Amino acid sequence: MPLRRYFQQNTSAYPLGVFRFAFGVVMAFGTLRFVYLGWIEDHYVNPVFHFKYWGFAWISPFSVEVLYLLHFIMAAAALGVALATGWLYRLSAVLLFLIFTYTELIDLTYYLNHYYFVSVISLLLCLIPAPPPPFKKEQQVPRWVIDMFKLQISIVYVYAGLAKINYDWLVLALPLKIWLPAHDQMPLIGAMFTWKITPYLFSWFGMLYDCTIPFWLMWRRTRPLAYLAVIVFHVLVGLLFQIGIFPLVMIGATLIFFDFEYTKKHYPSLPRTLTGFQGLLSQLRLAFLVLFFLFQLLFPWRYVLYKGDIFWTEEGYRYAWRVMLMEKAGTATFYVKDTKTGREGVVDNSEFLNPHQEKQMAMQPDMILQFAHFLAKHYAQEGVHAPQVRAEVYVTLNARPSRLLIDPNVDLTKERDGFAPKKWILHYED
Amino acid sequence: MKKRFSYVFLCIGVFTLLGCTDAGTEIGSSFERRQMLENMAQNLIVPAYQDLQRSVNNLKTSADNFAQNPTGRNLTDLQTAWEEAYIQWQYANAYNFGPAGEEGIRKGLIEEIGTFPVSTTKIENTITNNNANFNDFNRDARGFLTLEYLIFDLNNDDAAILSKFSSQNRKVFLQAVASDIKTRVDAVVAAWNTSYREQFVSNTGTDVGSSTAQLYNEFVKSFESIKNFKAGLPLGRRPGQLQAEPTRVEAYYSGKSRQMMVEHLKAIENIWYGRSKSGQDGVGFKEYLASVEGGAALITATEAQWAVVMNSLNAVPQTPRIAIQIQNTPAAFDNLHTELQRHTRFFKSDMSSLLGIAITFSSGDGD
Repeated sequence: MPLRRYFQQNTSAYPLGVFRFAFGVVMAFGTLRFVYLGWIEDHYVNPVFHFKYWGFAWISPFSVEVLYLLHFIMAAAALGVALATGWLYRLSAVLLFLIFTYTELIDLTYYLNHYYFVSVISLLLCLIPAPPPPFKKEQQVPRWVIDMFKLQISIVYVYAGLAKINYDWLVLALPLKIWLPAHDQMPLIGAMFTWKITPYLFSWFGMLYDCTIPFWLMWRRTRPLAYLAVIVFHVLVGLLFQIGIFPLVMIGATLIFFDFEYTKKHYPSLPRTLTGFQGLLSQLRLAFLVLFFLFQLLFPWRYVLYKGDIFWTEEGYRYAWRVMLMEKAGTATFYVKDTKTGREGVVDNSEFLNPHQEKQMAMQPDMILQFAHFLAKHYAQEGVHAPQVRAEVYVTLNARPSRLLIDPNVDLTKERDGFAPKKWILHYED
Repeated sequence: MKKRFSYVFLCIGVFTLLGCTDAGTEIGSSFERRQMLENMAQNLIVPAYQDLQRSVNNLKTSADNFAQNPTGRNLTDLQTAWEEAYIQWQYANAYNFGPAGEEGIRKGLIEEIGTFPVSTTKIENTITNNNANFNDFNRDARGFLTLEYLIFDLNNDDAAILSKFSSQNRKVFLQAVASDIKTRVDAVVAAWNTSYREQFVSNTGTDVGSSTAQLYNEFVKSFESIKNFKAGLPLGRRPGQLQAEPTRVEAYYSGKSRQMMVEHLKAIENIWYGRSKSGQDGVGFKEYLASVEGGAALITATEAQWAVVMNSLNAVPQTPRIAIQIQNTPAAFDNLHTELQRHTRFFKSDMSSLLGIAITFSSGDGD
């Protein structure tokens, strides 16, 4: 059976060593940077309200001391993922995955595809057989381990690329037409951003890059040039957008595609006991990985099941590698009505939300709904009788005049969040 | 051969594109943010602060005169000086960044000298105990509106004010409040007159902390403060408010709420146009918007709604004072609040989105 033979193949551990070293070091750096910038306070401690992930409403931030402690453990765990072996590696990977994912789940406001990527990679790192020390030559790992990371990275790129194949991106060069001129002060290349052709070039190059880069990286002949493209692409994206350490994450992660001259050697097939798929636990792992990758391949397509423009409704937008794809912003005005007195008041959002939270909320229906429910609860405690909450939300998408996102007459306290279509989102006709 | 072929293939998309368009070197419309910042500094911000400083100096002198010689005549002088200074403040209250921004425990200038409503309890306690402290958190017991409370009477009963000022403590406090305003304003003006101005005009990016972003964010905040605090709160338009709270209007004791709102909205309008107080038009946010994708449509929509705002402002009667209108005939003022609310999106999300101005430090990639 060819599949069994595949799982018995092994290969040089060197690419995996480079990969986990780069990933771990960048994550440790990123975690300390996060702490240093005071984002523990800004993101988790200061806000009076947190937007929850669907199904994870039970997660709430620990005290500030515990959060600091967790971040330091996370930084140490990231270094463990970079360097450790055996049980210490496993412990590090599990801690990194759990703590990182926990901190992400505290507030939906800060959702980034990049963070999701880190969680996914950390999870996969928990599942591989404990690797040999990095940078040791002649060490081996099962081939599927390395291929698995390549597959995951390829999914990210290709899906991000496919998402760019749309009218606004390719024909109108939007949102790059908005984003690039704002950076015309950048040294050396800034002036280029005011050229008319530049947003088109960047849009098309970005789409072609994302769709095809995994294949150029897989092919040995194009690999060096492709990796140069990876560096240029991510450095540029990193300079243009405030996305922190993630250009480094990707530049580091794509190193997994290199063989570093060691894999050309022929390695004997692993003994059956070392393939990583013997025994009940390993069988479970295999089953999990199959399901996991099925999920990765299928879940991003769920948007086709919803009516309406995904850019407008954002139903099925997350966890689909839709990265830096649109310029969207809204102003959301909430009205809270006292059912008994009929008196209706206007909410000052900044009383409850920081600017980042308000910005993200004002264009995403599920966050608008959550905030409405929070307001109902809050004002009920303040003495408003059975509060009804409606919202007038005006959203601009890719520089088009703003228009109502949701039905301003719907009492949002009566609506529930979930995977069912949100009927109170208004249609977007162009 | 194979190798070269693949390189070429990788670049095909790019070359095709270059070949298809003849716009390879064409320069699109670009906007000189530095020009806007220079105009803002030279014709709006610095003059606003200088006028403020001049009128605050005058206010301080009048306060000292009155304290030394509390006559009806000197009170009238002081009231006039306050009114003039507070009008000038309306033109300077949107620039709470740089030297007027938060630093350590010091809040933005607007919080330090423009907080309302004031706490009469705190003020009277301070006077009784003669323990004024202008560096604590009691921002509702200092600044312009505290001064206003001291020198204006709701019923224009100047005799009542004069009799209160037989207290030495009250005189000391009056002078101290005026001094505190002067100290803070002087510091900001000094910074603008020296190094900050160059720092402001040369920070030409659009990221957080750039001059454009700071100017823009404070502009929106200032606009929203009119809607939320000068109109919404006193009208009782907040959820949970059981009725109107007319005592929360700006300039409650002098009854000059409407006049101050007119000046504040004019100041906001000036920033939009990049227009000086004397009406000289320069490069402002409007010109900036005109240079970007979708800007023309937004300018039209913004100015149409702004005209509605201005009309509804003019429809608010001059008399009686706003606090009394809110009590008895709130319709016109309420309508102004509604129109301000309708205007918010044009200044807030629509504008920042088109201009690509960063609002927060960490950005989402979903947008």
